[in-house]
Amino acid sequence: MTPLVFGRYYATPSPVHRMDARMKVTLLLAYIVVVLLAANPTALGLCALFTVGFYVCARIPMGVAIRAVLPLSFIVVVTALINLFWTQGGAVLLSLGPVHVSEAGVYQALFMGCRLMLLLFGACLLTLTTTALDVTDAAEDMLRPFSRFGLPSHELAMMAGIALRFLPQFMTELDHIRNAQASRGAQLVDRSLKERYGAAKSLVIPLFVSVFRHAETLANAMDARCYHGGAGRTRLHVARMGSRDFVAIAVLVAMAAASTAAGLLL
Amino acid sequence: MRIDFEQVSFSYADAGTQKRRGSKRGRRNAGATPSDSLERHGQAAWGNDPDELWALQDVSFSLEPGEFLGIAGHTGSGKSTLIQHLNGLLHPTRGRVLVDGADLADKAAARSIRGAVGVVFQYPEHQLFAGTAFDDVAFGPRNLGLDADAVTERVERALAQVGLDVAAIGTMSPFELSGGQQRRVAFAGVLAMDPQVLVLDEPVAGLDPAARASFLDLIKDLHAGGLSVVMVSHNMNDLARLCDRVLVLSQGRQLFLDVPEAVFAHEEELHAAGLDVPEAQRMANSLRARGLALPTRLYATAADLAAELAALYAHGDEKAAGRTAFSSPEPEAAEPEERP
Repeated sequence: MTPLVFGRYYATPSPVHRMDARMKVTLLLAYIVVVLLAANPTALGLCALFTVGFYVCARIPMGVAIRAVLPLSFIVVVTALINLFWTQGGAVLLSLGPVHVSEAGVYQALFMGCRLMLLLFGACLLTLTTTALDVTDAAEDMLRPFSRFGLPSHELAMMAGIALRFLPQFMTELDHIRNAQASRGAQLVDRSLKERYGAAKSLVIPLFVSVFRHAETLANAMDARCYHGGAGRTRLHVARMGSRDFVAIAVLVAMAAASTAAGLLL
Repeated sequence: MRIDFEQVSFSYADAGTQKRRGSKRGRRNAGATPSDSLERHGQAAWGNDPDELWALQDVSFSLEPGEFLGIAGHTGSGKSTLIQHLNGLLHPTRGRVLVDGADLADKAAARSIRGAVGVVFQYPEHQLFAGTAFDDVAFGPRNLGLDADAVTERVERALAQVGLDVAAIGTMSPFELSGGQQRRVAFAGVLAMDPQVLVLDEPVAGLDPAARASFLDLIKDLHAGGLSVVMVSHNMNDLARLCDRVLVLSQGRQLFLDVPEAVFAHEEELHAAGLDVPEAQRMANSLRARGLALPTRLYATAADLAAELAALYAHGDEKAAGRTAFSSPEPEAAEPEERP
């Protein structure tokens, strides 16, 4: 019914939710740099503490945060495994034929795994506290300087916004089509390849037809409202920076400083 | 074919875990009340609205062989959820669904009745996909593993049943057909499965009046031919006219399950549930409220009401009409004053 999308907006009243989306995107980029530069476990631990603090400020329950990150944690597992086998050094802990697991490998796997986990939590914090519309508006603003070089920033943001808006719609429709075809005996499991191909076709084609139908309706609806692209368009809700945005900058600077200090001193 | 719902409750919130753990838990809990906290506080363990948590609550009924069962309910009352239980697309969170005694929680049983219970979903033309109308109708029979001759025979029969000629449209792309024809082809796609029970979710939604009438006639003919029919509709006129029994859902609960005469006698309760009574019935009720001695019965169609009114006045006895004003030739007098 309600497909769970990665880090779907979680509405609570919090200062993080009310921050300017452009600031949140900028700070997320800064956060990513800080986490990637964290040199040792202590620095990474400090970053983790800050991250927990951000979630507390955003009033997002731990369960929601974990459920948002979980679907993507396979990336962490794969990266950790690659590091486990590819990094060699120190005492060999385990040998299976040509494959060796060394101390350095275990350390690297854990370290990289934690680092990626933190990145995922950071990215989810943005999507959990910011509506898709605000994110795309922020992206449009932030890409605007490049429009001087011919980058259609408004159009890109509009396309991304429409795509995000229709994602749940198409999930629901796919569900309906799947039910209808399953009722006619279509099966994607326990069947020969040819039959599975037929069943997949019976889902994909109606979905495409529906995509085109929606596109045409939406285009007409936009025309009817005199949509003519980005030039001269104003917004109902204009994003403005406030004091909480500057507090957020200060907090992120503190995080960077703490992480760097831990990296240099220890 | 007989379908029994035994205290079926369904929660979308639980559907995910249900899939993983299998349905044993559901069977074990058959007959239990949906939720303790719901029972005690009238409120779900989480969320604001208990009815959002339970899409269906304690629905029990039997579909007898050859019956025409109507299902009515406001938007979001659980009609579509109920329909998906009929052929095992969804499994009850609590309670069970039996088809000829076999529990649909059993995957093999659910698969074996997929063909026997044909479901036509809302806007079925949106599921068309094949290169030709023939291939689209043949999709179901081919999935059943029939050989080419049997498939051809089934397709020809199904298209004939919906009033289309395989020679004329069989080789056309379904997307070239008109909207009404597309719906017929999609309908034929389900009939080609040779179902014993036909389940229809808003079959005439979005059709023009002529197409509506001919589609409903088609459904009536199929029912007369021996199929059991379950029809979801917002149109009380259609339900009253066609159904043997009507099941009314309100917020996932079973409000009424009875013959149309009995169900449509509850005008106020139906209004409260966001529904209505047939137009002829409403007219009859308001005439009776103004003092006309109409007998209490179901007025499914305008013809029913016209017949009763004609009988009432045919006596030539103006007293039979209850009020002389009604048969008075003067227009002012013919207008009865409003009752408070």
